[in-house]
Amino acid sequence: MRNLLFLAVLIAHTSLLFSQESNMNNTEIAEFKAKINETSKATITIQSNFTQYKHLDFLSNDITTQGKMAFKAPNMVKWEYTEPFKYSIIFKDDKLLINDSGSKSNMDLGNSALFKKINQLIVNSVKGNLFQDSDFTMSYFKSPDFYKVIFVPKDEKIKSYIASFILFFDKEQADVMEVKMVEPTNDYTRIVFEDRQINKPLDNEVFSN
Amino acid sequence: MKYFLISLTLLLFACASFPKKNNLESISGHTPTVINPYFSDLAMDYIYKAKINFADKSFGGIFVIKKMGPEHHRVVFTTEMGNKLFDFSFIKNEFRINFIPSEMNKKILINLLKRDLFVLINENPKILNQYRKMGDSIFLETKLKNNTYFYLTADERLHKILKTKGSKDKSSYIFAEIENDHAREIKIRHKNIKLTIDLKAI
Repeated sequence: MRNLLFLAVLIAHTSLLFSQESNMNNTEIAEFKAKINETSKATITIQSNFTQYKHLDFLSNDITTQGKMAFKAPNMVKWEYTEPFKYSIIFKDDKLLINDSGSKSNMDLGNSALFKKINQLIVNSVKGNLFQDSDFTMSYFKSPDFYKVIFVPKDEKIKSYIASFILFFDKEQADVMEVKMVEPTNDYTRIVFEDRQINKPLDNEVFSN
Repeated sequence: MKYFLISLTLLLFACASFPKKNNLESISGHTPTVINPYFSDLAMDYIYKAKINFADKSFGGIFVIKKMGPEHHRVVFTTEMGNKLFDFSFIKNEFRINFIPSEMNKKILINLLKRDLFVLINENPKILNQYRKMGDSIFLETKLKNNTYFYLTADERLHKILKTKGSKDKSSYIFAEIENDHAREIKIRHKNIKLTIDLKAI
């Protein structure tokens, strides 16, 4: 009986350790949004390394790619993959500029409306006006290490591609640490940011093909 | 009458099979157990950086092939940013679309991709005839989708598949940079269709 009790306590304790994530209450949500707003107003440029993990359930390993992300207010973003191939995509003035290992193009079918939306989501989360976005239903969570917001698209078409976007924010600065795009099949793409540099001068030239 | 005979001869020549037209010598003998080993390892994730050109459109992306079981392959194409552009399953002779966005859901494109991918992943097509070519390679005429020919080097390594119609070649599939049954480069070309696929292992 004593052993059983010990086991029960152990299980309860372990599950407590794994369930450190909890819902934010309304006050916390308001505070969090204010923090995001403050951070985004002060953010003119972001330069960061990133690692992308593409998870397909049937694969033995995630497909890992790495590169650099550059953002300049109000709405220029460049994703530059450097490993294991060279590829960059620039979102600028509603245009997509692609450089696929030297071959340049201005539009890609696969990278059209949906990806503009995804990018807009990331830009907006940096700028802080994401939470006014009526295209998503949002739920807010907190843990000792991060804030987490789940965005579920309302639009059926977007939903058929992406079931949810999950953004993880740093607790100190309320910066985006990680973006996870979950597909309806539960396959997902995770982008983890590292070595972030805020407001370091960034030439407009970076955003040309 | 003379013209009729000439045209008949020309027609016959035009209808001659690919090996006949190319004066290939028929041989009999040993054939490898696995003709196309490049997607045959169940434990392996085959990942390629891909460039697909179709008509005037160009898609860059990541191409994934995984053998799931005997005569069962999954083929997925995603953008570099990870979004799926198609997800197909080939189970024996059955073809299944697991996912395709509406922009890509064009019958002509799906059929072309289906045909190409079927040729690419098929490990053991039924062999009808065997030929010797140029003294250094074996040449297999197979029943895979009618006239499809597998070119093997003298050491029985597949380096090219050719799909033909009559005596003319229609599509070619070239395997290069081969390391331990892994083709690190694959090129797919068509004579009459503006579809090219280039794959580079990553």
